[in-house]
Amino acid sequence: MSTYARQAARNVALPTSLDEAVAALAATPTAVPVAGGTDLMAAVNSGLLRPAGLVGLGRISEIRGWQYADGAALLGAGLTHARMGRPDFAALIPALAAAARAAGPPQIRNAGTLGGNIAGAAPTGDSLPVLAALEASVLVAGPDGNRELPVSHLLTGMDPLRPGEVLAYVRVPLLHAPQTFLKATGRTGPGRAIASVAVVLDPARRGVRCAVGAVAPVPLRPLEAERWVAGLIDWDGERTLAPEALTAFGEYAAAACIPDPLPAADGNAAPELPPAAVQLRRTVAALARRALGRALA
Amino acid sequence: MTGPDAATATPAVGTPTPVATGADEQQAEPHGIGASLPTTDGLAKAQGTYPYAADLWAEGLLWAAVLRSPHPHARILSVDTTEAVALPGVRAVVTHEDVPGDAMHGRRVADRPVFAKDTVRHHGEAIAAVAADHPDTARLAAAAIHVEYEVLEPVIDPERAFSAPPLHPDGNLIRHIPLQFGDPDAVGEVIVEGLYRVGRQDPAPVGAEAGLAVPRPDGGVELYVASTDPHTDRDLAAACFGLEQDRVKVVVTGVPGAMGDREDSGVQIPLGLLALKTGCPVKFVATREESFLSHSHRHPTLLRYRHHADAEGRLVKVEAQVLLDAGAYADTSADALAAAVAFAAGPYVVPHVFVEGWAVRTNNPPSGHVRGEGAMQVCAAYEGQMDKLAAKLGLDPAEIRMRNVMATGDLLPTGQSVTCPAPVGELLKAVRDTDLPPLPVDDDESEWLLPGGLEGAGEPGAVRRGVGYALGMVHMLGAEGTDEVSTATVRVHDGAATVICAAVDTGQGFATLARQIVQEVLGVEDVRVLPSDTDQPPAGAAARGRHTWVSGGAVERAAKMVRTQLLQPLAGKFGMSAELLTIADGKITSYDGVLSTTVEEELAGKELWATAQCRPHPTEKLDDTGQGDAFVGLAFCAVRAVVDVDIELGAIRVVEMAVAQDVGRILNPAQLHARIEAGVSQGVGMALMEDLRAPRGIIKRPNLTGYSLPTALDAPAIRVVRLIEERDVLAPFGAKAASAVPVVVSPAAVASAVRAATGRPVSRLPIRPQHAVARPQG
Repeated sequence: MSTYARQAARNVALPTSLDEAVAALAATPTAVPVAGGTDLMAAVNSGLLRPAGLVGLGRISEIRGWQYADGAALLGAGLTHARMGRPDFAALIPALAAAARAAGPPQIRNAGTLGGNIAGAAPTGDSLPVLAALEASVLVAGPDGNRELPVSHLLTGMDPLRPGEVLAYVRVPLLHAPQTFLKATGRTGPGRAIASVAVVLDPARRGVRCAVGAVAPVPLRPLEAERWVAGLIDWDGERTLAPEALTAFGEYAAAACIPDPLPAADGNAAPELPPAAVQLRRTVAALARRALGRALA
Repeated sequence: MTGPDAATATPAVGTPTPVATGADEQQAEPHGIGASLPTTDGLAKAQGTYPYAADLWAEGLLWAAVLRSPHPHARILSVDTTEAVALPGVRAVVTHEDVPGDAMHGRRVADRPVFAKDTVRHHGEAIAAVAADHPDTARLAAAAIHVEYEVLEPVIDPERAFSAPPLHPDGNLIRHIPLQFGDPDAVGEVIVEGLYRVGRQDPAPVGAEAGLAVPRPDGGVELYVASTDPHTDRDLAAACFGLEQDRVKVVVTGVPGAMGDREDSGVQIPLGLLALKTGCPVKFVATREESFLSHSHRHPTLLRYRHHADAEGRLVKVEAQVLLDAGAYADTSADALAAAVAFAAGPYVVPHVFVEGWAVRTNNPPSGHVRGEGAMQVCAAYEGQMDKLAAKLGLDPAEIRMRNVMATGDLLPTGQSVTCPAPVGELLKAVRDTDLPPLPVDDDESEWLLPGGLEGAGEPGAVRRGVGYALGMVHMLGAEGTDEVSTATVRVHDGAATVICAAVDTGQGFATLARQIVQEVLGVEDVRVLPSDTDQPPAGAAARGRHTWVSGGAVERAAKMVRTQLLQPLAGKFGMSAELLTIADGKITSYDGVLSTTVEEELAGKELWATAQCRPHPTEKLDDTGQGDAFVGLAFCAVRAVVDVDIELGAIRVVEMAVAQDVGRILNPAQLHARIEAGVSQGVGMALMEDLRAPRGIIKRPNLTGYSLPTALDAPAIRVVRLIEERDVLAPFGAKAASAVPVVVSPAAVASAVRAATGRPVSRLPIRPQHAVARPQG
């Protein structure tokens, strides 16, 4: 029984619509929006965060489902990992479903949400490399109206959430092609990713898009490797690749995400990659090779 | 975890009572020795209604908080409590100045201050404690205590402790044992060397430390804590309070998980001091972070080995250096070192053994008693050496072990003769000859849980299966002259029996066992075991299987004395001696069948009491060369591990652990299986993931996200293939302790299997993914 931090948040608002949520945040600008609370409440309980107030998003039913809009899916930010892991969702966006199923034990998946994963922006967030590979964008509701921005702009801090804004929807293009998400944890039970890789095929644009998670603060895109391998694929035919090409793609992508150290400024040879980085690069290479192989299988 | 085959997989077991299944419901309640009695408090614990220390409450209680050091090593220049005392709601602040009695305490050596005075020696060491009328106020007040530190360079490498300036007035060397056995000049035809490292396993109890202290009108104090050794804890606390021992009472509340000496005195002494100072009840509930910072861990160990063998693979000589990182305080490190040195060669016959063992002080998190301490670390190393020897000689790993196993009558490297049953060869044979788990067939991947888990990245083509073996041993009861005595009282009244014994049931099942013993001896069905406190005579610590042996023995003796009181008048009436009467199924019958009456009838209206002690035969301290009869008894275990390894990612899944164990006699089959499964699971955790990392002496992530424990998906199928019941004549009932030895052997077995799967040396526990990937070509 925990006996501490009981009165951490006396000021709790429970809006039932996005407008109410925005209004609640406008009324208490220092309040923190909370959805599943799987990361946030742990920080509160351990005393790392003492929010002046909480705005609970759990009762806003409009962001707990998804809808179709112009060849894209508009996913509510309140979608739980458990919901995204179900087969109907997996048929729509397979890689996001796989990431959701891999995101921790059932208790966490039942509570944790897509929006929380994005807003929390933990390097190990499992849905983030998938969203990066899908080139998804987020719709934000705020006091000055709604706006849409790419997920990567939000994650990198190029265009952060402004005061009073709430993550409302995530727009994900529907590609109708295989996608994969693979994650290495080093154990069999649920765990945080050592590295994760999402690969999506975009046959309409004849593209392969790949993102690597957990190795850097934000998901990384090996763009050159993507373009190179997309050029090798026979998009009108079998869409298969030789094992050597898959291996080369894996190594290309891994070397892009975990680059060799730069040569020293004084002209001496570059220092060697530390063994842990070599191992991480090998892990990413194996994941990327397997992920692309499964997407093309 | 074991699944339905747990009971069927034990055909060799003498007592055929199966684990309770639906078919048993028709029969009478199981009772007596050899039956699978369920625990009395199991249901309440499973339903969450069982009150643990954290659930206790008293009228007008205050809440305590402890201020802990953020530095692993620092000089304290000043402690200023004025701001904390002035906070509204704060009732008392105590520092080292407020300790009326001994400033230092410790289980073996009094070297640990109640509150740090001049120096802090580990991250999380207590500096002051606060009592306030709200837990948050207490925490805020603790944070408001201003401590001025002069940060010192921490000693974090145990190898540097020898030359580092002393961290403690007692010096940095806690114990050194240079064991010498045989001829130092002996040389084998084949020599293998290895360097092994074992990480810091945390006991990670389900419930964090908690307690309630209630002052008594006579100036004493009652401590309600989850102690596993109430009398020692009371004595330590009383000495620090400056009170007579009988004015301090330790009442044992439910124990939410114990892997050793639970409830470090760091909880109960500050609590008692605050209760005495304020005159109010004071409660403390540690956060998970505090729990990780304050309690004792398994000793991180560095081991260097050189094994000599002849061309047939028979061991000639074992040379070893064992270095235990004790952390800042001695605690039970001297005992752990004795076990590590004595068992450094394993359950093998080795004519010449030379081991140097050291336990040294560092500024790392404190180490202490965790199941199988000392024995577990050396097992990982000597079994690694056996694998190396097998590879060098081209022998099967099981075969080379078989050629060297010890048996009753062989000598330990301490010169002590193994007098108890030591069926090591039989155990190995049992795990070696049992069927391997089936390989997943290619077309049925959905059934195959790949390393990496259900949604992991596992690819069947990259998975290699490995099979590994390990043998190991632990000693039972305290070693080296520890006085292992226990006292129990059995009272029979109105057809029901009560057992009064201070032995704590930490979940190991002692209370159930005590009931079974009384049922067996007296034929009384209704047996109650009273909760433990220090008003009862001492029973010692719940560790090293001592309660099964010593307290179980005391209960049996007391029950037999009551039995004599019951039968004597009957026997006199019929003109025969009491020995000719037997009690079975609640009936008293004479040898010739003339007399037949029920226990119930004879007990009606009577109240019989008896108190008895059990004290096993004494042991002696290891001498200057590590020689001496230091152990009362030994328990052995063999494990065969089967693992799947993704050799590209280094992900490991333990598929199956087959266990054969030397148990002496099965007293409660269901409980025994549970103990073995728990031990194997803990061992798998040690092998694959449990390591409390403390770079530069600071525990970076003291929580259950940073410190991973095995989950249901990580836990392997555990098959108990053989339980050997050769009774140990010294032990009451002939039973051996069962909990510790699977913990000792399992990590070594997993490492052995990973070696077989990957071809990598695997010399570090837990095994990290980078040590389980196949070497890239070239």
